[in-house]
Amino acid sequence: MKRSGWIALVLCALALAAGGELAHWASRALFARSGPILFVPKSVGPEMEFWQVVGQGVDAAAKELGVEARTEGAASETDVDGQIRLVERAIPQKPRAIVLAAADYERLVPVAERIRKAGIPLVLVDSGLKADVADSFVGTDNEAAGRQVAEALLADLPPAGTVAIVSFVKGSSTAMERENGVRSRLGASDVRVLGTLYSDGSPDKAYALTKELLQRMPDLAGIAGLNEPSTVGAARAVQELGAAGRVRLIGFDSSTEEIRYLEEGAIQAIVVQKPFNMGYLAIRTAVDISNGRPVEKRIRTGSVVIDKRTMYSKENQKLLFPFR
Amino acid sequence: MGVRRLFRFKSIHTNIALAFSCLILCTTLLLSYSSYRLSSRSVARNSLDYTAQLIDQVNTNIRNYIDNMESISSLALSNGDLQRFLSVPRGTPEAEALSARIAGFFHALVASRNDMAALLFVGSNGTVISDRPNAPLKDYSELIGQDWYQSARNAGGNVSVSSARVQHLYKGEYRWVVSMSKMLRGPGYGAPTGVLLVDLNYNVIDDLCRQISLGRRGYVFIVDSAGDLVYHPQQQILNTELKKENIPLILGSADRSEKVADSGEAKIYTIRSTGFGWKIVGVTYRADLAGDRRNMQLSAAMWGGLCLLAALGISIWLSFTLTRPIKQLDIHMKQVEKGNFDIRVDIASPNEIGKLARTFNLMIGKIRELMGQIVREQEIKRVSEIKALQAQIKPHFLYNTLDSIIWMAETNKMREVVEMTTALSKLFRASIGQGEGEVPLAVELEHIDSYMKIQAMRYRNKFTYAIDVAPELRGCPILRFVLQPLVENAIYHGLKNKAETGHIRIAGRRTGSVLELTVEDDGIGMDRAAAEALLAPAAGDAARTGSGVGVLNVHQRIRLLYGPSFGLAFDSEPEEGTTVTIRIPYAEHHAFAESKS
Repeated sequence: MKRSGWIALVLCALALAAGGELAHWASRALFARSGPILFVPKSVGPEMEFWQVVGQGVDAAAKELGVEARTEGAASETDVDGQIRLVERAIPQKPRAIVLAAADYERLVPVAERIRKAGIPLVLVDSGLKADVADSFVGTDNEAAGRQVAEALLADLPPAGTVAIVSFVKGSSTAMERENGVRSRLGASDVRVLGTLYSDGSPDKAYALTKELLQRMPDLAGIAGLNEPSTVGAARAVQELGAAGRVRLIGFDSSTEEIRYLEEGAIQAIVVQKPFNMGYLAIRTAVDISNGRPVEKRIRTGSVVIDKRTMYSKENQKLLFPFR
Repeated sequence: MGVRRLFRFKSIHTNIALAFSCLILCTTLLLSYSSYRLSSRSVARNSLDYTAQLIDQVNTNIRNYIDNMESISSLALSNGDLQRFLSVPRGTPEAEALSARIAGFFHALVASRNDMAALLFVGSNGTVISDRPNAPLKDYSELIGQDWYQSARNAGGNVSVSSARVQHLYKGEYRWVVSMSKMLRGPGYGAPTGVLLVDLNYNVIDDLCRQISLGRRGYVFIVDSAGDLVYHPQQQILNTELKKENIPLILGSADRSEKVADSGEAKIYTIRSTGFGWKIVGVTYRADLAGDRRNMQLSAAMWGGLCLLAALGISIWLSFTLTRPIKQLDIHMKQVEKGNFDIRVDIASPNEIGKLARTFNLMIGKIRELMGQIVREQEIKRVSEIKALQAQIKPHFLYNTLDSIIWMAETNKMREVVEMTTALSKLFRASIGQGEGEVPLAVELEHIDSYMKIQAMRYRNKFTYAIDVAPELRGCPILRFVLQPLVENAIYHGLKNKAETGHIRIAGRRTGSVLELTVEDDGIGMDRAAAEALLAPAAGDAARTGSGVGVLNVHQRIRLLYGPSFGLAFDSEPEEGTTVTIRIPYAEHHAFAESKS
């Protein structure tokens, strides 16, 4: 009995060690984060400053929340098929969540539905989808931003002046929302609003259209540019025709070129979105969803009006000159 | 009371197991908890120390950069050219030459260092010297309106260090820098002054801070003396409702660690001051800090649980093995209770329980032996009882006696007939009484008197007899029918074959607590061997006849009742006679309520 007791003790110790290892392994398997969060911007091209900053927000949130965020995207914003393919490839890998900036308002809907069907949380960032499939949308309130543009226009406009709108893609949700914002605010004033010009996202087209308009209507009091290329094209036309200061131009988004026009007085003010906040909040929302916490359906990241006077303020220089 | 009853378990097994378990539970819990506490505390302390070291290192590095910039600016300023440049009138060829020389010097300085973004000198007289002579500078009026120029002028001759800012000296060029500017006075009162600007690439600070990792989520940020952030990894969302840093606390704090709460989560600031008003703050999350606090908790709990399980198993096993022999013993005792003595407990262990088992076996053996003895003795008693009764009145004796009575009646000896019949009647009455038990010596003597009377009449002139027992001894209790076989023996073996008239004498005397009765005859006697054979049971009944059986029976009965130290003793000499001594314990005033009836 003495010896069998010792053997039992030794066996117990061995079992204990084995059990401990097993438990350790099990705990690691159990508490390991279940995969990375996939962030799919409209484009991963280095020239797209906007998405770079969104990416910075994504990284900051990922680090703060202790999750891994992987960024994958098409090289160009117009490569819708590329984005669809990319997302389809990602679904079987079961990421913890997908943060998607839909390159197309309609064509991304089926793949978004497949994401949801696979049980993967989906957070849309910046651009929404036609169908209500996502768990949450994080982005600018474009209508409010449009109203901000109108507000900035009205700040210094001759009574009963005429105003033109240079929009980008006809039928794009963001373009429509922004235009609605602008028109609703301007409609409440005595300003006359002309029909919308569409630049199709090309600064050259915006330049040509604006130039033609300015030549046709020399008494034009103001122009609202609804995205960055549209604004830059319009500004070029205004500057070229020596109309800077006479025609009040309010732009959208920021770029080095836009800032230069702002400094030179061709653009009076720009409405700037908060891409960092978008990325940051999208990741936070995605983590919340994957942890089973309730989230808001629409999260507004806000936009700011910046003019020449305020462009180097501490807050605004962060928005205008994203670091790196 | 109720609680105590709750814990009063019936089996030792449960008690031991429970006691062990409680003990183990307490120790394991205590150990697990304390080891968790200790390790988490030491991990927290270590990582705090580590954080402090890292922050110190960042501090040193940033200081070095700033010091370098300062020394460069003083180098530039101490260069005589700049002084001279301020003193010579604008537009002169000398001024142009100096300007070109200084620009070349600036350019060399900036080119030699990748952490320097720009060197610029702006004079109050409208002159501007840049390290990049061909770059499109902004208008003079715009330059002197910029923050760095203004703050240098406000600082007098001291170095002014800006926060992180976008430098916009050149058209279309926007760089993140930290600007250091210093005003330079020209020679003499009223002479033009100038401001020297040194821009430090913000990348340098960004890289420095970004590469510091404090735990999983910790980070470093820098705040300047005005409370503006020089660096923060999440600059963009800072001071919104999403994220806040407790700037007033940092500004008011000395170089130490401060605990703060950030949207419900505990953070620790490790604050260090640089020499020029910046404060470098390391942020560690408490949850992060304790390393894998959760992991540690988990592993402590898990190991504790495992140990507990193992210990519980061992304790149950131990209590089982400890109590198994006791249980075995218990089962055997239960059998004994039921009356089964034919068992043995097989516990070979050398411990107390083994000893107990051995003692138990011994005890059971003894009991078994004693019980066997009792059974045997009972049997002997029963047999001897019957023999005693048989021995009393043998049919022969009865015929002979009756023959004698008839003969006496025929010869008209009526007095003898009456006498003999009376004696016979007494004899019979005595034998009808209780088979076993004691009677006073007087009763026994009366009985033997009757018997001897009958025998004396039958064997006329063969013997005379006398009973010589002191009256005070006659109350002593004595086993019934012990004297008759002895007397019978004396008559048949001692006197019957003697020619002359013999004599039987029954005497009694007390020696201490022993009563000695003697039956003494002067018959033919016997040799020593024959006398001894009378009391030897081994000889068997067959060897003896008649009264010999009776004598042995008497001996055995006395010894059974009174113990082995009592009994009969023969003392005989051939031709001399025989004396039988009966030794019984003496007792007085015995109650004979039953036996008298």
